[in-house]
Formats: sequence, structure tokens, C-alpha cells
Amino acid sequence: MIEFKKLTYEVLKVGEEFVSDEHLVTPEDVETYAFAVDDHHPWFFEKSPFGGPIAHPTLLGNQALRLRHGRYIVHAGLHAKMEFEFLEPIRQGVRVRSRGTVVDKYERRGKPYMVTEFVTEDEGGTVLVRGRFTQMLFRD
Amino acid sequence: MDTNGQALPSLVKEISQRKIDAYSVVRPKSIHTDESWARQRGFRAPLVQAMMSTAYVSEMMTRFLGAGFVKGGAMSMAFIKPVYAGDRLTVHGVVKEKRREGDATRVVVEVRCENQHGEKTAVGTASGLQRPEPRT
Repeated sequence: MIEFKKLTYEVLKVGEEFVSDEHLVTPEDVETYAFAVDDHHPWFFEKSPFGGPIAHPTLLGNQALRLRHGRYIVHAGLHAKMEFEFLEPIRQGVRVRSRGTVVDKYERRGKPYMVTEFVTEDEGGTVLVRGRFTQMLFRD
Repeated sequence: MDTNGQALPSLVKEISQRKIDAYSVVRPKSIHTDESWARQRGFRAPLVQAMMSTAYVSEMMTRFLGAGFVKGGAMSMAFIKPVYAGDRLTVHGVVKEKRREGDATRVVVEVRCENQHGEKTAVGTASGLQRPEPRT
């Protein structure tokens, strides 16, 4: 059982680790994403150079970005920076999970930021995507 | 052929609230999908999730480098200005560097997103691998 707390700069700890739930990448996920970003590349619906259809490389970014929601109540934040490395294609039908660690927090011009490093892996432990993102926290 | 300085075909994206809703999932108390909450937080309209700009850059790079971006690609972006529901973004890319990486060449592209007023909303770099065509 998780006791959710409101996310604040003060509560957040550098070194804190997060893990997402497992998610099955479905054709519906890919279709919804394709609609949202208006990218209907045939590799997402038919054969690709990697065999069957794949997902958009950035499809799982939100799984990583929302890692902190697995422990905290987060009503608003602004995304400041994003780094991705796309190591393997995301194949439809794969089960994926993201893990992240808070590697830094700092204040700049009176605004609090948190920095998270993450990996997204398939069920076999193969890292598909890794990266790092910086989010600004809102103060109430 | 030296292609440094080569401009990639730009992408234009009209971003409706419906697309934001599909991307971010409709939730109350979301600056992306709850207009009143966004206004309460000081924004004139719901914000486009910054990650959508990374998706646009990914599309541009996949069109440019194909499989060499899907496997071996990278991106580093800074989001410098809010993008709002109803905005039109144009994504630009210019090849800045090519360097050997194993049996491939890493092609580095400077990227930027601009809104309909010509203001930069996101800047950064993206790269991927170009492999020589197999000899037949």
C-alpha cells in the first residue's frame, strides 16, 4: 500500500527511486499516439525494418515522466528539458516498465526543479530507451 | 558529399485540444486538459505537453534517418516557451555534424520548434546513425 504525499521540493529526496507498473504496448496505444501527434508512419501499422510494426520511439516518454505519480500527488509541473537515447525499437506486444532515480534538485531564479534519470525496459530486461529529464515544480 | 548545413524538410503541426487530450489523457487538475485549472495556474489556455514536441522531432528524424534513428537515435531538448492548445508549431532541423561511430556515421541535427508567431518554443539537438548501403 502506498501512502501518497503531495510533491514538494522539500519532501523530494535526491537518490529517491521510482518504478512504474508494467504496461503492454498495444496497437491501440500506437494508434492513439499516432492520432495525438499526427504521425502515421507505415512502420507503426505494417511491417518495419525490425520485423512487425513498431511504436513511435517517444511513445513511452510519458511512462517515465509520470514515474513520480506512483508515489506523489502532482497537480502541476513544467517540463524544462528532455534527453532520450533510443537503444532498441519498441515492438508492439512487448511489456515495458520504466525505472527512475532523482539525481538532482535545485532552485534557479526562485523556482524549484527536479532531475530524473530513467530507463525503460522490456520484460526480458533489455533497455529500450534511457534518458534524463528536468521538471519544474509549482509552489502553491 | 558534405551535407553539413543541409536543412531537413520542416514539419507543421496544428495542435488541437483533442490531440492534447489524446496525448496527455483527460484528467481534472491538469494544466494540459483542464482549462479552468490551467487558467488558475496562470496560463491563458491549456498547455501542450512539452513531450509532444519531442514526438515531432522524432518524426522528422525518423523520416530523415529511418531505422538509424529508431535504433541508435538520441535527442536533447530544452523547452523554452509554453505552447498552447490551438497553436501551430513548425519543426526545423539543420545538419550540424557528422562523425564516425563504429561502422556507421552519426548525423547530428540542430532542431528547433517555432510557434505561429515565429517564437522559438523548444531547441536542441537530435542525432541518429547512417549506415553505408550494403553492396550487392
